[in-house]
Amino acid sequence: MSALAIADKRRLGRWALAGTAGVTLGFILLPLIFVVWLAFFRQAIPSFPPQGYSFMWFLSIADNPRFVDGFWLSLQVAVAAMMIGLAIGVPAALCLARYRFWAREPIGNLLLLPLVVPGIVLGTSLYVFHVEATIVTELPILGSVAGLVAGHILIVIPWSVRLVNASLAGFDRSIEEAAQNLGATPMTTFFRVTLPTIRPGIVAAALFGFVVSFGNLEMSMFLVGPGRTTLPITILQYLEYRIDPTIAAVSVLQLLLIGAAMIFTDRFVKLSRVV
Amino acid sequence: MTASATADSLISLAARERRGGRLSTATMLTGPATIFVTIGLLIPILILSRYSLNQFVPGKLMVEALTLENYVLFFTDPYYTTAFYRTLRIALTVTAICLVLALPLAYELARTQSRFKNLLIMLVVLPLFVGNAVRAAGWMTMFGNKGALNFALQWIGVTAEPVRFMYTEFAVVVGILAVNLPYVVLTLQSVIESIDRSVEDAAFSLGAGPFTMVRRVLLPLALPGLAAGAIFCFILTMNAYATPVLLGGPEFVMMGPLVYVQFAAKSNWPFGAAVAVILMSATLLLTAAANLMVQRRYRT
Repeated sequence: MSALAIADKRRLGRWALAGTAGVTLGFILLPLIFVVWLAFFRQAIPSFPPQGYSFMWFLSIADNPRFVDGFWLSLQVAVAAMMIGLAIGVPAALCLARYRFWAREPIGNLLLLPLVVPGIVLGTSLYVFHVEATIVTELPILGSVAGLVAGHILIVIPWSVRLVNASLAGFDRSIEEAAQNLGATPMTTFFRVTLPTIRPGIVAAALFGFVVSFGNLEMSMFLVGPGRTTLPITILQYLEYRIDPTIAAVSVLQLLLIGAAMIFTDRFVKLSRVV
Repeated sequence: MTASATADSLISLAARERRGGRLSTATMLTGPATIFVTIGLLIPILILSRYSLNQFVPGKLMVEALTLENYVLFFTDPYYTTAFYRTLRIALTVTAICLVLALPLAYELARTQSRFKNLLIMLVVLPLFVGNAVRAAGWMTMFGNKGALNFALQWIGVTAEPVRFMYTEFAVVVGILAVNLPYVVLTLQSVIESIDRSVEDAAFSLGAGPFTMVRRVLLPLALPGLAAGAIFCFILTMNAYATPVLLGGPEFVMMGPLVYVQFAAKSNWPFGAAVAVILMSATLLLTAAANLMVQRRYRT
């Protein structure tokens, strides 16, 4: 009887746990569900219940140059920052994972720092830095696309270090030694043994770097020049005045882009292992 | 004898050379990234701190000086202290609720054998990358006078008049909570995953109920992860920008928006820099304190 009661209690506890977990997951997803819903409303204001559904808001995005321009700038900045960030981040990650030297830990911490410093502080710091750099070099650095890209490289680096490191965990170094014993030059060893091993990490770093840069708001706000904004800033500025199906449709497109990037990444590196 | 000595010295020479080579390789590989982060992050933070000691003269923007008046102004003007304490209060509230809500989901994700596990994790990660403004838009759809929440409340019959949700502290707390939950869930999930499941079974077979097991076994083992999650959540809330701007409205001032307004709208760089430094220091200080508390807990 009492054994039964304990079993009942445990089953009840398990259901309660799963229920609470489900509620939390629902809570996390709720705002996204409503944004997607709103994008298909027929009326122009978010009043419930909806008076019908329509696709027209998606078509009207193309007529809105603010969103189109913002999208292109975000895309260009994200691609540039991702490529440069990987070019300097991946070698550093490789080195930190392989070699033991005195500066290893401080450098490792330094390269992860941009992830810890809050976006607002990062933005203000870079802003005053660009002000000083503009005065010293007399080049138009403040508000330039180059300055924006440099800022974004800063937030791509920690992700590439982290993801390449994760892909090297559990890698057996003796495989490299074996290759060299069999007569491979260091170059051949790198291209034929090491690189294939870290390829999933590099792909994941590329996609995460792209997504993090593409979605960045707080830092970018300080770095964009007059009349030039990235997509997240455009979305924020629009929402400060009103919420309507147009902005929801823009959000849905962003959601699809990022979702696709994530599913693609997941084929190379299991997300549950790296985030 | 001499031959072996020569051999020894040759070997040590080769070793030294190899070590030297390795060091220069290391410099070559880590150098660019290290220099980039140093110039792009550490030096800017130093310049920012220096700016905060300058003087703001209307019409002349910034005058070089060594004064604490920006800091004094911040801590004496009730407008700014209100913003500061409000930000602290919301950060503590959100962090506390976040931990309670995140734990069950993190536990389920860590222990599930389901083949949909990866999908579930993707569902937690996706909102993270979509951006805070988009998620705030979702809440705006719900919180408006004719929004989903008011419609639901009136349909049930709880209220006849629409309840005001937009531009309230409630809306901001809910919004930030949803923004931070994924981070905390993922941190806790990875910690719980690293705890051996058999300790839980051991607790159960020794007669502990589920609550006793969680309180006496799981939580103490997960404490470092809980602390890391809490600290992360706290930092994010202290520095929140999009959510307070969109859901709190122009009257609802928190630290993040305050910094931006000083720079963008008022062009008061010294004061803006001072507020940013205060924000950064408060964040770092409380983080260090939390770390210390966890460490002490572990020693005893």
